[in-house]
Amino acid sequence: MTQACEQTYFAFTAGAASAPARAAAPAEALPDLLCGRYRLERLLGVGGMGAVYRARDLLREQFGDPEPWVALKTLGAEFVDHPDAHALLYGEFALTLRLRHPHVIRPYGFEVDTPSRRAFMTLELLKGPTLDQLLLERPSGLPWPALRDVAIPLLEALAHAHAAGVLHGDLKPGNVILAEDGLRLFDFGLGQPLEGVLPGLPRLSRSRVKAWTPCYAAPELLDGAPPSAASDLYALACLLYELGAGSHPFARCDARQAREQRLERQLQRPPQLPAPVWAALRAALAFDPAQRGSDLAELLAAFRAPRTGRLQRWWRRGRG
Amino acid sequence: MNAAPLSSAARTATGKVRADNEDAVLERPRQGLWAVADGMGGHRGGALASRLIVDGLAELPLAGDLAERLGQVRQCLHRLNRQLGQTPTVTAACPDPVIGSTVVALLIEARRAACIWAGDSRCYLWRAGRLYQLSRDHSLVQQLIDEQRISPEQAAAHPAAHALTRAVGVGAALALEVVELEVLPGDAFLLCSDGLYQDLAPEALGAALALPSAALAVQRLFAQALDGPARDNLSAVVVRP
Repeated sequence: MTQACEQTYFAFTAGAASAPARAAAPAEALPDLLCGRYRLERLLGVGGMGAVYRARDLLREQFGDPEPWVALKTLGAEFVDHPDAHALLYGEFALTLRLRHPHVIRPYGFEVDTPSRRAFMTLELLKGPTLDQLLLERPSGLPWPALRDVAIPLLEALAHAHAAGVLHGDLKPGNVILAEDGLRLFDFGLGQPLEGVLPGLPRLSRSRVKAWTPCYAAPELLDGAPPSAASDLYALACLLYELGAGSHPFARCDARQAREQRLERQLQRPPQLPAPVWAALRAALAFDPAQRGSDLAELLAAFRAPRTGRLQRWWRRGRG
Repeated sequence: MNAAPLSSAARTATGKVRADNEDAVLERPRQGLWAVADGMGGHRGGALASRLIVDGLAELPLAGDLAERLGQVRQCLHRLNRQLGQTPTVTAACPDPVIGSTVVALLIEARRAACIWAGDSRCYLWRAGRLYQLSRDHSLVQQLIDEQRISPEQAAAHPAAHALTRAVGVGAALALEVVELEVLPGDAFLLCSDGLYQDLAPEALGAALALPSAALAVQRLFAQALDGPARDNLSAVVVRP
């Protein structure tokens, strides 16, 4: 069977913290009511280590809140006894909490349901299509104004995260949603703090935890390097190219396969992309991180620059 | 929307052997939509997949005529196929996991019905004392029977006989199959997972559907299936328009 390339690979490698040595009772099935407060109503998605539900916050409802719903992310049963997994979920909460940006999802809280021993986090509930769903509707890609309207807030959100010392680690169309009140970047489950940021937070060693989404992961990640601003940039460039062209830049190959097959030589500029934007995007798609000659600021500037029309270009040439 | 809710009953059970139930059922009699989904995938991934499908179908607004409703169901299943395709791999020991689900859904609007499916969960029609299988399994067994013209017994002996050839969430593109038909007075429909139909002879399915109410039919089907080995999860939805 064909394996969709958007899959996130998450693997506890040999030597990873094993399940607790004590003979723990198997985790209870996920109850419908968590902490006596959150009633699970609908499964919204299946994520890297668990699932995201729409839940009704009964406390908010009791106080008459007309919108008492939250998104609730919990670990899968298979991870409940795995200390690394709890740390990973808390890490996601702590990293997301650091970010305050209109285009980054807002976390509410991190809690543990004692009877079922399930850790979970609550977040703002967003309604709208993910970019992945948008691509399903627009298989030939977005026209320039729509592409720019997605790219700018997304680049701003990621630039904010990087400035706050947070790497996303798993950028892909399924992790960006076009909510009713604007775009949101979400799922920092594979995020990492930059060195020196959140020093008390248990850091997950990439030598022990391997996680990636094959066709958006930078080649250095596949080669075992830790995530970096440059690897986020590569993933984002793949995503933006796909939104413009309607297809993945390297025919859904992972970066190592694409590098071996020299697929970068076949890259074509999506016709609606202005030349300066293409130049910045093309540079961000470089396989060698040292050659990835563009950064978020450059990409953002290219997308923000007003597009010059033929008449203006002719006028400039004539005067130049 | 249909003028009056149609009579229906549904039930799903873990069976006698499996630890978890990875089936899910949906009943929306007021909107004329029913479904059965049979999930697959380790670590309860199958249960999440079938729930994702049923919860997705449960939220559909279902406006317009049958064709428009069918379009909404199709679109929902294609979206979920794409969403499930992103499901992460979670262990190094399982580099190529499959988390997906079969689905069979029935839509009824006025005197027209549409059955839409992917996988080997089935839709049966009981009409004028005869049982008809409306859906055709998307399974290796069925493919072997169709393409190599071998008997069902020979096909069943194939080592990968129970493998599915289509399901939601396991391929980049989802091919759904649809059958549309007129609904006649006295018709009864059965949607079920393989855990139910594998343990019951067609005569037993027919005898249950001949009972005067959907609830009685489901009760009979489960009593008989649970009287047997019930090695798999089992689910049934009976609709009597």
